[in-house]
Amino acid sequence: MKYIIAIFVLLSLWLSPSLSAQQLSVSIEIPVIDTTPYHRPYVAVWIETPKRKGVHTLAFWQEQSDWYKDLRQWWRKIGRINSPNYDAMTSATKKAGTYQLFWDGNLVTGETVSAGKYVVHIEAVREQGSREYLRQVITLGNNKTQHYQLQGKTELGSIKISIK
Amino acid sequence: MLMVNNVTKTLLFLVLNLVVAFNVASHERFMVPSHTLLSVVDSKKVTLIASISNAIFHPDMPLGDSNTGADVGDLADLFKLLKHQVINPKGDVNQNVRWQAFSRLSVADVEIKDTGTYRISLVQPDVAMTTFKKADGTPWRLFGTKPSLPAGATDVVRRTTSSRVETFVTLNAPSKAAVNPTGQGLELAGETHPNDLFALEAAQFQLFFNGKPLTIPAKVKVIKAGTRHRNNRNEQALSIDDEGKFTFIAQQAGFYFLAAETKVEAIDEPNVDVKHFSLYLSLEVFPQ
Repeated sequence: MKYIIAIFVLLSLWLSPSLSAQQLSVSIEIPVIDTTPYHRPYVAVWIETPKRKGVHTLAFWQEQSDWYKDLRQWWRKIGRINSPNYDAMTSATKKAGTYQLFWDGNLVTGETVSAGKYVVHIEAVREQGSREYLRQVITLGNNKTQHYQLQGKTELGSIKISIK
Repeated sequence: MLMVNNVTKTLLFLVLNLVVAFNVASHERFMVPSHTLLSVVDSKKVTLIASISNAIFHPDMPLGDSNTGADVGDLADLFKLLKHQVINPKGDVNQNVRWQAFSRLSVADVEIKDTGTYRISLVQPDVAMTTFKKADGTPWRLFGTKPSLPAGATDVVRRTTSSRVETFVTLNAPSKAAVNPTGQGLELAGETHPNDLFALEAAQFQLFFNGKPLTIPAKVKVIKAGTRHRNNRNEQALSIDDEGKFTFIAQQAGFYFLAAETKVEAIDEPNVDVKHFSLYLSLEVFPQ
């Protein structure tokens, strides 16, 4: 019996190791769009479970709260629920360029995200422009290095996701 | 002066993208009729909405009021400048249309009595604005005829902006008198009647500037209604020839937004360098 419990404990530890060893990084490109008037896009990058439960916001670039809702998927899953969930990740909109985001797996609650499959969501919307929404399934906590590359067509450029 | 200040604030509010490339009217504006075609013996009314909004044709802010509507704050000063026009099929101009502002849009009823085409417009006369670069190079702008510029301002250009926001409604057979240019600002006429548009048919239009065919460059764009519910804005730029003529082929039926803008150097106005003119039209296209 002791052995069985020990195996269960070991197994559960193996299934949900701490993520402190792994870091998620996302490189996100805001493309140059030559148009007038050009408004910088509102952008959100966040993590959800495969069952579409909001987990954590990595970045939220904005100007005025009137338009938060136009990041429709982010607003639906994280934004409208509770602003402390993303306050610390909120900043002003960015000009065209490539930006690096990092996440050590810590949630705003102070807990560490449990191991398993997650989905990285990237959404961008520009006033008098278009909206773009990309997703990538990732696995956290398996200590395997992963690299993913996505390519936006309108409001997003090259997106690189890596887990180390 | 107080009014100028209020207009200044209002327009500043409407022109939020101060930092990037210069553009005169940063928000779209439109007027949409409940009906563009009517077939009746007696007179009928159409109800129109007008709004300042970048979502085509989803309203965001009201446009137009006869001092009977909602409290619209600083926008009231802009609304005082607007001329409320209806041109009937005979070409007579009626300035007594009552527009009423609500919080997110303005509404008017217009009676359509006579066979032929009516043009319904909100006409904004020249509003003065000065653009410049601050001493640190930041592009900036101030409204009013003689704003006090910060020290070290460079690239100072004194401008005016004016616009027409309009649409057409026809009872029975379409007619041209109301479509023909009034001679004020940018206007659309041409071979195809704006109330006779069908999907996949080539409409031949012509832009007029102060009553004459437009011979100077202008930007013309078309956006199909419903930007709020699609990811791609699908803004289509149309090219015009040296007489202001252009062809528009709608791929699908629906309401379309057409905007045109041009500018000229002000030769005979000592306090203005450049004058800007815009036209914002809504056009209804029917299925084949």
